[in-house]
Amino acid sequence: MSPGANAGKRDVTSSEPPETRPQDSPLVAAFLEKRQTLLLFLAARTRSMARAEDLVQDLFVKIRQMDPAAEVRAPGPLLYRMAANLLVDQARSAQRTERRDDQWRRDTRPTLGGEDIVEGPGADEAIIGRERVRQLAEAVAGLPPQMGRAFRLHKLEGLSQAQTAQAMGVSRKMIEQHIQAAVRRLTQSLRS
Amino acid sequence: MVEAAGWIARLQRDDLNETDGLEFDAWLAAFPDNRPAYRQTLDLWQAFGASAGEVLAQMETPARTPGRRVANGGTGAPTRRWLVGAGGFAVAAGLAAVVLPPMVRKAPEQILSSGRGQRRRFQLADGTNVDLNAESRLSVSFSRSERRVSLEDGEAIFDVVSDKARPFTVAAGEHTVRVVGTQFDVRNRDGDLTVTVARGRVEVRPSSASDRVFVLTPGQRLDIGAGGVGTLQAVNPQEAFSWRSGRLVYRGQPLARVVADLNRQFVDQVVIGDPELGAIPITGVIVLDTPQAVMSRLSLMLPVRTVTSERGLLLLRK
Repeated sequence: MSPGANAGKRDVTSSEPPETRPQDSPLVAAFLEKRQTLLLFLAARTRSMARAEDLVQDLFVKIRQMDPAAEVRAPGPLLYRMAANLLVDQARSAQRTERRDDQWRRDTRPTLGGEDIVEGPGADEAIIGRERVRQLAEAVAGLPPQMGRAFRLHKLEGLSQAQTAQAMGVSRKMIEQHIQAAVRRLTQSLRS
Repeated sequence: MVEAAGWIARLQRDDLNETDGLEFDAWLAAFPDNRPAYRQTLDLWQAFGASAGEVLAQMETPARTPGRRVANGGTGAPTRRWLVGAGGFAVAAGLAAVVLPPMVRKAPEQILSSGRGQRRRFQLADGTNVDLNAESRLSVSFSRSERRVSLEDGEAIFDVVSDKARPFTVAAGEHTVRVVGTQFDVRNRDGDLTVTVARGRVEVRPSSASDRVFVLTPGQRLDIGAGGVGTLQAVNPQEAFSWRSGRLVYRGQPLARVVADLNRQFVDQVVIGDPELGAIPITGVIVLDTPQAVMSRLSLMLPVRTVTSERGLLLLRK
């Protein structure tokens, strides 16, 4: 996915808001029905709900570009395949994604339609206070060594699961287990 | 909450696919509590994502994160000797050791630990010496009839004082190492167990359920992988013990393992930029002075170059 191609797609959406289409194809209908869950699925790989909204929009653009006459037997699997591909593509072009044009997002988000669950404009620019940062850092420092290292490399330094596994000389499965345990512990230690 | 954390972790897979998505969808719909639990976990996950740089910077600030950084200076050799007594042990400022309050009618448990870049020597109440390698954690529980220690994560050399009436056992994950009087090294990292014996006799029971026992004699090393398969081989035990004197000895281990070991020894981290590099076999002795010096010596032998990045010392293909 090149930046140029993406920009082209965006122009199409902003000039053609989705809700003006008279009939929805089964895939579009499935998307609208699953939109909230797709958002939560995509949000697991974004820094904010606003960025997840971006990706939902990207997904919608891709769906609209598909031939409406094409018969889709199983819209659910197709939606999730497209969503998963979007995340994998995004990871490949992570740097470009980071430099997204926020202005574009603010302009186009209202055209998404449906209920607005966005946490307000610029939610991802929200400043996380110094005290909160200190708490987060302390919580990570309090993790057992291997778990803390996996969390640090993967979540804080942005290495993929495979890269983290490489760096630590363990399996990807082990990294996933470390991350799961770390998230559980962090949730507990930061709640109190 | 447990399941929500599991989903956050699973959705990070590099090869995420529609099965992950459909199962996530089904889980989210299964119980009304799942969605709010996921949302709450997601909020925290995103907070870390949005503030990753600041959190990393904060973690690098020594004064603010006591216990994580090494009090006696990075790669310091085990110059100090901590005497562990029956009722507790000397606690110096900044020392990362914790004494747990003794449980009623249960043998008191002590936790010995070492941080990144720290190698420490302890003497247990029976006179047994323990050297802890970096980022290791050992709990000690002695009673009248037995001496039990548990190496939850890490590597340690035990020089056990013989006491036939009180056997000495080391629990490492699900494995048990049992000895009388002997000197040996136990490494329990990421589910892989390695035991190397220098003196005496050591019995290793791969899991409590198993009735199979490996008996190791001096000069033998046992490796048990995550699958539970054990490999016994003849080695020079001094090589396994070399970390105690600030050296790491490798015979054909992958570079990824070498880097993982180095990253436990130094605060400055080394990151392998090209996954293929991690598989290069390494043979040789690494003197632990500074990560920069270690990597520049390695880059003379390997097709790698190093770049200083904000993530640490990045290893790239030449």
